[in-house]
Amino acid sequence: MPGDHDMGAYPEPPRQTPAVDKQTALPNPELILSKLFYYSVDLPVTTFRDAIDNIRSRNKLVYYHQKFRRVPDLTDCQEGDYVCYYEAEMQWRRDYKVDQEIVKVIQERLKACQQREGNSYQQNCAKEIQQFNEVTKNYLSRYGDLGAYANGRKCLMKQKERMMAAQAQSA
Amino acid sequence: MAAQLHPVFDESQFALLVGHSKAVMVGMSVLRSAAAFAARLSPLKSGNNAVNLLTRTIPRTDKVAVRWGHGKKMFIVRPSDFYDRRFLNLLQYYILLTGIPVAVLITCVNIFIGEAELAETPEDYEPEHWEYYKHPITRWIARNMYDSPVKDYEKMMAAIQIEKEKADMRLTQLEVRRHMRQKGDGPWFQVPTLNKELIDNSYKSSPDN
Repeated sequence: MPGDHDMGAYPEPPRQTPAVDKQTALPNPELILSKLFYYSVDLPVTTFRDAIDNIRSRNKLVYYHQKFRRVPDLTDCQEGDYVCYYEAEMQWRRDYKVDQEIVKVIQERLKACQQREGNSYQQNCAKEIQQFNEVTKNYLSRYGDLGAYANGRKCLMKQKERMMAAQAQSA
Repeated sequence: MAAQLHPVFDESQFALLVGHSKAVMVGMSVLRSAAAFAARLSPLKSGNNAVNLLTRTIPRTDKVAVRWGHGKKMFIVRPSDFYDRRFLNLLQYYILLTGIPVAVLITCVNIFIGEAELAETPEDYEPEHWEYYKHPITRWIARNMYDSPVKDYEKMMAAIQIEKEKADMRLTQLEVRRHMRQKGDGPWFQVPTLNKELIDNSYKSSPDN
């Protein structure tokens, strides 16, 4: 099986299972069932996976993370410079995708926290909840109602509206 | 009851046999005694009468109309499903004809080659454009069938540049045309005429030629 999740990112609370204090001579059904599961399901699956990994490890392939250079923004382009517009638009689209992935990561964290804590998630995951709320509020204010045909220009116009509204409110 | 009936039966049959020949008598008597024996064994069953004991046919168990179970074969009148079954068979055949090789290929690729692992880009090494993908088949397609994204980007920018130049040229053309029409002199609005020296002025000096 692939390695366990990052313990630093999703820390588990310390285990509070009490030490085994057997007071009967009867066998422990939980132990029996867990051993049964291990030998019938876990062991075959793990050996299969190890065999496949053994075969795969002979032709190891690697892939890299592509980093793009920053280009001038839409606001830094001359009027009528369509090539500059294109590059700014492509950069905006990449940033849009990156922001979507950021929101997904925050959502995953909140879901993991809720799953871990169970019924007391509202008080134990306060930090994750606050982070999630902040991130989604910012995302919506920036990309909120742009729709399927969003592009950099529309986003810029939305930002202009936001700034105008903020100025009207503060004035 | 059975013992009482038996002697009565025998005697009446014997009395009838008087008129026949001896051999026939013997054969008939054997059969009749067998029938009598069977009748004696189970006289109360409906099929064991003296009349039909010898002449009845053996019942076939699969053609008898029994009430439940794998019984009599029926021909149920239904519309033909030949065309439907033929269509489904052909559909299955043609789908699996390429489906199975493709499935086998993909399974072998996943088992023997396996997906790529993420690694840090080494210093001063520019990865090829296909080395940014994970699955080996995607990598193969990106390497052999697609242009690199950098090339696509540059192609798009070149197209945009050409269109921009065309648009600019059209705008300047309109501007120049406007100027020339306004001012009245400009090479575009000059109609070429013949040479002045070619005009024959000789007949124009005398009015009534």
